[in-house]
Amino acid sequence: MQGEFQNGFKCADFDALLTEAIDGTLTGTQSMRFEAHRESCAQCSVLFAEAKAGHDWLETLPEVEPPVNLVKLILAATQETVRAETDARHARQSWSERMRELLALKVRPVFASVAQPRFAMSFGMAFFSVTLMLNVTGFRLTNLRHVDLRPSSVVRSYYETTGRLVKYYQNIRFVYEIETRVRELKRAATPEEKPSGSDKPQERKEQNRGNDREKNYQNYSREDSSPYLAQMTNGVQDELTAARRCS
Amino acid sequence: MDDAQVVAALVRRCVAGDATAWEDIVRRLNRRIYNICYRFTGSGDDAQDLTQEVFIKVYRTLDSFDVEKGSFMTWVTTVTRNLLVDHFRKTKQDRVTDSLDNSGSEDEDMLPLSEQIADSGPSPDVRVHRRETQELVQRALQKLSPELREAVILRDLQDMDYKDIALSLKVPEGTVKSRINRGRVELARLLSRTYRQVM
Repeated sequence: MQGEFQNGFKCADFDALLTEAIDGTLTGTQSMRFEAHRESCAQCSVLFAEAKAGHDWLETLPEVEPPVNLVKLILAATQETVRAETDARHARQSWSERMRELLALKVRPVFASVAQPRFAMSFGMAFFSVTLMLNVTGFRLTNLRHVDLRPSSVVRSYYETTGRLVKYYQNIRFVYEIETRVRELKRAATPEEKPSGSDKPQERKEQNRGNDREKNYQNYSREDSSPYLAQMTNGVQDELTAARRCS
Repeated sequence: MDDAQVVAALVRRCVAGDATAWEDIVRRLNRRIYNICYRFTGSGDDAQDLTQEVFIKVYRTLDSFDVEKGSFMTWVTTVTRNLLVDHFRKTKQDRVTDSLDNSGSEDEDMLPLSEQIADSGPSPDVRVHRRETQELVQRALQKLSPELREAVILRDLQDMDYKDIALSLKVPEGTVKSRINRGRVELARLLSRTYRQVM
């Protein structure tokens, strides 16, 4: 390139406009100056001719037809790749990650509607109530650590608890029966007083109340333990001592 | 709605998990990608394999496509170009190094260049000559360096504008024009040398 030619148009300028000139997009003054330079500069003239020839050669190349099954192959390849990647990812994942993914895909959308402030407030209140109740009743979650959850231990605990309940029930019943007996003996040992005229109604009321209570105890005793009551008349003192020991 | 907008809508549907949208994208673009690959490699088998690779890569990275950074076609062209360059590097050792001049010696009865370019007659002879000329041009194209080859393919065979080519190749627009000029000149010189020997 010789550098500057007429009108200050250089070979570098010619080179810069070469693509536009071949595309046919040069207009006006630019086109005139380009053409003038091409005619006056031998090297640029050759350059233009070669570039134009190269462009024309490339224009002869037609668009090639892709193979008929190319689309099917591409779709199959992409599906296969996605499947392989998913399998590989699952193989790499631990069970906790899989569970997390399952939760994200299946469970989270279901609970998305529940995860709102008003529901959160309700859950918070419910949790607070349950916690308060457990605290009041003296229950501590840390106690659960010591619970033996082996099947044999659970069965043993069940039988022990049942036994304790039955024993407690029988003891209570026994105490009531003894109390009833003692009350009867007291009444039998105390001589009856002649009631005065003014106290008669009041005394009669008290007596009726006592009879009612007695009836209740007797009814209670008669339900299940009539044979036992039959024996009580002979050894009341011994039974009373035994009951005191039990209670 | 123009073609770019349609493709952009298809991409959005595809990212949302619509399988039919992906199929539409493949049907729309496979021809273009195959042509770029074919002209770059000069082999139908390689072009087919590379086209599949391009679509697999596009499918995997579809989430990363950013509409703000350019059209989908430009993005796909960039992916294609990167894979082609990788392929070029991998096959450098295996590449056939036959001289273009040797291959031209078989066509001693060919018409002069100017006549071949201008000729569009339908006769069988002309068709044969045209096909042979196309093969020669394709071989000459293979002789160009990858930088010049990709530039002239995208401009002269795919009709992309300079701005999109610059985005695809990640070089300034001036560099793109320079490479196109050099590519065309280099191609013309290779072919004229071939025909000088033939004549």
